[in-house]
Formats: sequence, structure tokens, C-alpha cells
Amino acid sequence: MRPKESATERIFHYFNFFMALIPISIILLILAFLSYYSYRAIIYNGTNFFTSYLWYPGQFSRNPIIVRGILVPYGSSFGALLFLIGTLLTSLIAIAIALPTSLIASLTINLYVPRRLKRLSISMLELFAGIPSVVYGLWGILVLEPLLFRFLEPWMRDHLAFIPGFSGAIVSGSGIIASGLILSIMILPIITSVVSDTMSSISSSVKDGAYALGATRWEMGKYILRQGSKIQTLGATLLGLGRALGETMAVLMVSGSVLNTLPDSIYSPINTMAAAIASLLDSAFIDPTNMNVYALTELGLLLFFITMVVNIVGRTIVGRGILRGYEHEI
Amino acid sequence: MKYENGAVRKRMAFDRGMEAIGFFIVSLLILVVLSIFLFVIGNGLSGINIKILTTDGNTTSGGLFNAIIGTWLLTGVGLTISLPVGLFGAVYISEYSNSRAGSFLKLFADLLTGIPSIVLGFFGYLMIVVYLRFGFSLLAGGIILAIMMIPYILRISEISLSNIPKDIREAAYALGADKYKMILRVLLSKAKSGVIVGSVLAVSIASGETAQLLYTAGWNNGLPTGLTNSEVGYLTYVVWQGINQPSAYSHQLAFAAAFVLLVMILALILMSKYVQRGK
Repeated sequence: MRPKESATERIFHYFNFFMALIPISIILLILAFLSYYSYRAIIYNGTNFFTSYLWYPGQFSRNPIIVRGILVPYGSSFGALLFLIGTLLTSLIAIAIALPTSLIASLTINLYVPRRLKRLSISMLELFAGIPSVVYGLWGILVLEPLLFRFLEPWMRDHLAFIPGFSGAIVSGSGIIASGLILSIMILPIITSVVSDTMSSISSSVKDGAYALGATRWEMGKYILRQGSKIQTLGATLLGLGRALGETMAVLMVSGSVLNTLPDSIYSPINTMAAAIASLLDSAFIDPTNMNVYALTELGLLLFFITMVVNIVGRTIVGRGILRGYEHEI
Repeated sequence: MKYENGAVRKRMAFDRGMEAIGFFIVSLLILVVLSIFLFVIGNGLSGINIKILTTDGNTTSGGLFNAIIGTWLLTGVGLTISLPVGLFGAVYISEYSNSRAGSFLKLFADLLTGIPSIVLGFFGYLMIVVYLRFGFSLLAGGIILAIMMIPYILRISEISLSNIPKDIREAAYALGADKYKMILRVLLSKAKSGVIVGSVLAVSIASGETAQLLYTAGWNNGLPTGLTNSEVGYLTYVVWQGINQPSAYSHQLAFAAAFVLLVMILALILMSKYVQRGK
């Protein structure tokens, strides 16, 4: 039975209710601020935002001009196509590498690793999630990029040139491959933790049933563990995708931050939506019409919208949030 | 054992083969993560000294003192704001709301971790720095870090609260306690270790963030002089700026900063594991 509500009780109840509402209020506030600051850019840019890859801040020394009722810097153009392509391409490469690796890692941990080493190997993989993204960037610049430039990329060009996009000039180690690889390392713990958790929660009677039918360990893993965790794997992949789409610092450091040039091969430098906001916002402040800030807000709004949709779907499937592989701590 | 059947032998061999591939990939991953740690520790240790840790710096000269203190101040402000929100939000979800409203509120808490870090920082710039006129400051950076810390504290607190058996609540009621007294005196003391684990994890993640702070905290060659309108330096900024500059000393500072960060984060992770074990 519940005790009667006193005044203090009621105040405490409402205080807690107010605190529980803060997360949803923050999401709505972000949406409101990003929309308010980007509507002028949305009117000015129109479809140019999606079809052009030219991003010019305009000439601040000349008088601003009025386009569709909006004051904009002379000669400015805000086409985000390059950033959209970059975000999509690097995230897809990240998923293409991280998903099979995570699946094999989860299967190995659940099928082959001896019981007493299982906890340890999971803890080791969780360490990936504790590394800050600037440290990934640091490692990417000084270790990964030289490796790519000297060994992997020349090898790929020599042996895989028949694949479209795999032949071209290798300018430096930074670019699409470096960004995709770094992102794949960063989302690996997210996918692995969800998938391996789901696999180990599959009832042992089902597993024993497969063994009783004469399945080898691999066959049990393939038909029972992998099949049984299919939906969760999809959800985890979406959570990983959400993280890859929005990752900023590591990509900013290894992408080459190119502007106004579309990539002509997989070795080209690239830029992403998140990295572009981080690197262009500083110089956007000097625009007297503020249009450069508004245009970056439009980019931010689009990125926010995409990551929220991906996260909501992924979260609904997995049934828990993207805690970056820290779920085991609970 | 000898197998007469060739097909069985083939399947067994395939299983062994996959085992070898699996072990190879898992070992490779562990090797990669260890190599990242060793890379930072090796380069950081050779460049770190007492002088670097105790003098202020500007990412190309001087030390890391202002950045270390700045990181602590920013995460401290973040924790001060996010702890009550996360904790009492968790109390509401676990003790007051029905399960449908609860899972709705939890979904939005989870979504906070999915906001791209630069979008969160940009929002902080637009709302807190410009609209609220806090300027680049401790409070602006702290509030933005708090937003990304809330879900860790809320979710882990909520799980520890709902793991408390119902009997304990009934016992408190039977002794005549009001609901709020039952929650404050009984449940919160029971859920303490979960709340601590969540907070420690939130701090460990927040101290490694950069993009949220670029346009909310700014950079300061010394210590901030107040909560608002006074910029703050932080360690991740030194890593990012230091490595982008040509001088050997700024590289040394970048590695020293990365080293201090990793040591802090590892210590926090170990601390959370320790608290968890004592639960």
C-alpha cells in the first residue's frame, strides 16, 4: 500500500519528474536552435546545398548582396555535396570493416576462447571505447597514415586497380581510407559488445541441441549464435553507424580536410559534415552577414536529423542506447 | 580419434580453421588497442616532466598545468550539473513513472549520447555562448559536457535502482516512512555504488571530449577567472593543436597531454571496476 502524499512528497515527485524531462527538453532545444539559426541558409541555399560541392564563404571586403530577401556575402556558395559524400563513404567503409570483424570476434569469444579468458578478452576490446577521439587522431596521423602511404595504399593500387576507384594518385596517407579505418576501430567495440552479449545470452539448451545433432563448434555458431543475434546485429550496426556519421575529431585529423574538390579515387583526401563544421566555424564568425554560420547550422541540423533517426531505429532494435561499449559496467 | 568419414573430417578441419582465423583476428584487435596505448605511453613518458606538469602553457611552449586544471574544472562543472539530473531522473523513471512513460524517457536519455559531438558543441555556442551571453567559459563548456554525461549517470542509476528488491521498499513503508524518505534514505544508499560507477564513467568519457568544447570553452593560456566569460584550456585541445604544429616541442606537449589523459581515463575505469566489485 502507498502512504498518503504529503506536500513534501508532492514537491519531491515533481522535482524528479522535472529532472526526467530534461533529456527530451534538450533534444527539443537543440532542434529549435538549429532550425532557428539555419532557416535563412535553407532559403538562400535551396537545392544548391545538396547538388553543389562548392563551399565559398564569399568576399567580405565587398558589400553583401540580397538574394531571395536574405543578406548574403558577395560570391558565397554553400554546397554540401562533398561533405555528404564524405560522411556517407567513410561511414560505409567503417561499417564494411567493423561489421564482419565484430561478428568474427564475437563468435570467437563465444565459441573458442576458454571460459577463464573470456572476461579478459572482452575487457581488452572494451579498452577501445575508453580511448579519446583525439588520441585516435594522434595515432592516425603518426602511425596509421605513414603505414597506409608507404605500404597498404601502393599495394592496393598495384593489385586491386581493377576495382573502380582503386586506381589513382596517392598524395598522402590522409583521406578516405584513413578516415574509414579509424572510424571502423571506433565503432568496433559498440557492435562487438552488443553482438557478443546477445550471443552469450542464447540459452545453452539450444546450443547443446545443435551439438547433439553433431554440429561442429563453428556450425553451432553459424546456425545458432549468428542466426539468433541477427536482429540485434542490425541494431548494433545502426548504433555504430550513428557514431561513425557524427564522429568529429579523429576524422578531422586524418581526413585531409579538403574543400571544393570531389574525390577521384579511394586514396583522395575527403571531408565530412562533422569535420567541416569543426574546421569552418572558426572562420565563419568573421562573416558580417552571419550567413556562413547559418549555412554551417544547416549542415549541423541535417547531421543531427540523420544521426537521430539512425539512433532511434538502432536503439529501438537493440533495446538500449549507445553507451559506447560500456554496457558491461552495469 | 580417427574418423572414417571424409565429410566429417572436412567439417572438423573447417572448424579448426575458423578457430585459428578467429583467434588471429581477436589477437590482432588486442594488439592494435595495446599498440595505441603503448604508442601514447612510450612517446608521452619520454617527454613528460615535473616542469611540464606544473607550468602553464599555450600548446607551443610552456607546460600543461592550465590544461590539466581546466579539464578537471570542466568535468567538475559537468558532473555537478549532470549528477542531480541523472540521479533524480532515474528515481522518477524507476519509482514514479509507469513502464511505458519510463521507456519513452529512457529513449531520449539514450539519444543524448547519439548527438554528434560537434553538433552539441555548435548548439552550445549558439545557445549558451551567444544567446545566454555566457561567452566561451567554464559554465558553457561544463553545461555541454553535462548534457553528454547525463545518460551515463541516469541509465546506470536507473538500473541499480530497479535491481533493488521490492521487499526493501515494503519494509521501509511498514516502518511508516513516506515515499520520499524511503527513496532518499533507503533506495539511494542501496544504489550508491551504481550511481558512483555511472558518474565515474561519465567523467572518464567527458575528460576525453574535444569537439564539444572547441566553441564553448575556447582556450586560455592561464586559468579561468570566473564561471562565465573567461575561456578555459583543456588537455584534448593541446593534443589536437600540438600535433598540427611543426615544432618538436609542441609534439612533445601533445604526447604529454595524451599521456596524462589516458592515465586519468584508465585510473577512472579501474576505479569504476573497483567500486563495482565492492558492491
